[in-house]
Amino acid sequence: MTARRTPDSFRAARRRMADRLATLFSWCATILVVFVLGSILWTLLEKGLPGLHLSIFTKSMKAPGQNGGLANAIVGSLMQTGLAVLLGAPMGIFTGIYLAEYGSHSKLADSVRFVSDMLLSAPSILIGLFIYMILVAPFGHFSGFAGAVALAVLAMPIMVRTTEDMLRLVPLSMREAGIALGAPKWRVTCFICIRAARGGIMTGVLLAVARVAGETAPLLFTSLGNSELSFNMGREMSSLPLAIYQYAGSAYQDWVQQAWTGALLVTFGVLIINIVVRIGIRGGKA
Amino acid sequence: MSEHGVNSTLSEGAKTATAPELALQVKNLDFYYGKTHALHNISLDFPLRSVTGMIGPSGCGKSTLLRVLNRMYDLYPGQKATGEVIFDGQNILAPGVDLNLLRSRIGMVFQKPTPFPMSIYDNIAFGIRLHERVSSSEMDGRVEDALRRVALWSEVKDRLKSNATAMSGGQQQRLCIARTIATHPEVILLDEPTSALDPVSTARIEELLDELKAEFTIIMVTHNMQQAARCADQVAFFYLGDLVEIDNTDRMFTTPRERRTQDYITGRFG
Repeated sequence: MTARRTPDSFRAARRRMADRLATLFSWCATILVVFVLGSILWTLLEKGLPGLHLSIFTKSMKAPGQNGGLANAIVGSLMQTGLAVLLGAPMGIFTGIYLAEYGSHSKLADSVRFVSDMLLSAPSILIGLFIYMILVAPFGHFSGFAGAVALAVLAMPIMVRTTEDMLRLVPLSMREAGIALGAPKWRVTCFICIRAARGGIMTGVLLAVARVAGETAPLLFTSLGNSELSFNMGREMSSLPLAIYQYAGSAYQDWVQQAWTGALLVTFGVLIINIVVRIGIRGGKA
Repeated sequence: MSEHGVNSTLSEGAKTATAPELALQVKNLDFYYGKTHALHNISLDFPLRSVTGMIGPSGCGKSTLLRVLNRMYDLYPGQKATGEVIFDGQNILAPGVDLNLLRSRIGMVFQKPTPFPMSIYDNIAFGIRLHERVSSSEMDGRVEDALRRVALWSEVKDRLKSNATAMSGGQQQRLCIARTIATHPEVILLDEPTSALDPVSTARIEELLDELKAEFTIIMVTHNMQQAARCADQVAFFYLGDLVEIDNTDRMFTTPRERRTQDYITGRFG
């Protein structure tokens, strides 16, 4: 009896030990990640907040020492990201619907899925160069429109993937129940599947927005940047990431300060989008 | 559409008063999942306004047969049925059958409740809107009527606009039945409708079936032999893709003709 008990209790002790170690490692890793994120946010707040005046929103970029703002960059970011979503979301969402509901395992769907996943991981500077070749070089000038298209190309695969994944989460029995009532397939897709997945699809769109709002590389070759406030998407246009890129590397105190403030704005913009997404998901579930 | 159904059955009933009228007639049905031969030469009749229970061990083909009767298998390439299923004088396996119309006349309720992600009201209105144009006041009446018939009205009448997925499992399943009968089908297919429910909800659904058979032909797959004995007028026993035996419920459970039936209902296998 005792001979059998000893190895058993030994094994139990070993398992308890392993359990505690694994828990400890998880905690350490979590704390490390939270610490890194926290310090980034803290640095941003510490360095960015002092420059956050009303003039940031009302004035455009000016020469060093002239007390400029970031209004042109903010407007440029909003317009280019907004247009990118308007262009990318319908294509991304409809492609996702095709992949999940209609293509399924056809050859075409498989290749579309493959290409879309490849785009998802393509370096964003390549996308910028590609758009430069087809929308900047032929026209002879940079434009906000080209920038928006570059961002749309970046955003699209994210929305394709989330839309397809979310639709695949809709149980097959739900589709069958719709079909069993005598509903044609398009009605089941539009009124049942998309409805069931709409929270997830919206999340995908907002995540894509958050992703492209901070992109710099694709804009370098497309919208270039513009120190004037401009609403004309046909010409060069500024944006927050480009302004940060330009200012942060400069030697002027006030430009560096504005770069920090711009970084703060981008980060909190993205943060707010993420919070909205989370609330939206919770609301969709209830 | 349903009125037409009732009229035609009444006139036919006068002509053939002796033989039971048939809602559905399956003749020499074979079914294939790709190369797997799942149903072998099945022939059976489903009398009008009666409950047919289909029993048998898992994988015996009873759910497959159910999914042939509303051509649900059409959704999946590689699934094929040969033979005939006669419904309202027409072979519904023939090409050119209007499947949406067919499915509005032969409704189906699934094992797991499948409420749509919309309000209780819209769940029922969805099916009606597919096939009819009705005014909003008429729609209110149809929704109320359907909910009353499944004894759900008093429980949900104050929250018709709230989300159907927030209801309990038993309520959801009754909603699915209400949704199916709201389109006035002639036949209702039930695929183990209570296997995901607690005993109280199960009892309510069984009572409901008893009331519904006055108006609808009910075909039910069940794993629960007591349920088949309680609810069904006739019972069909399937085994390995064969229809072993079909008889009225009393005879089936007291004096089955086949040895395999006897073994299954006494719990020797399955």
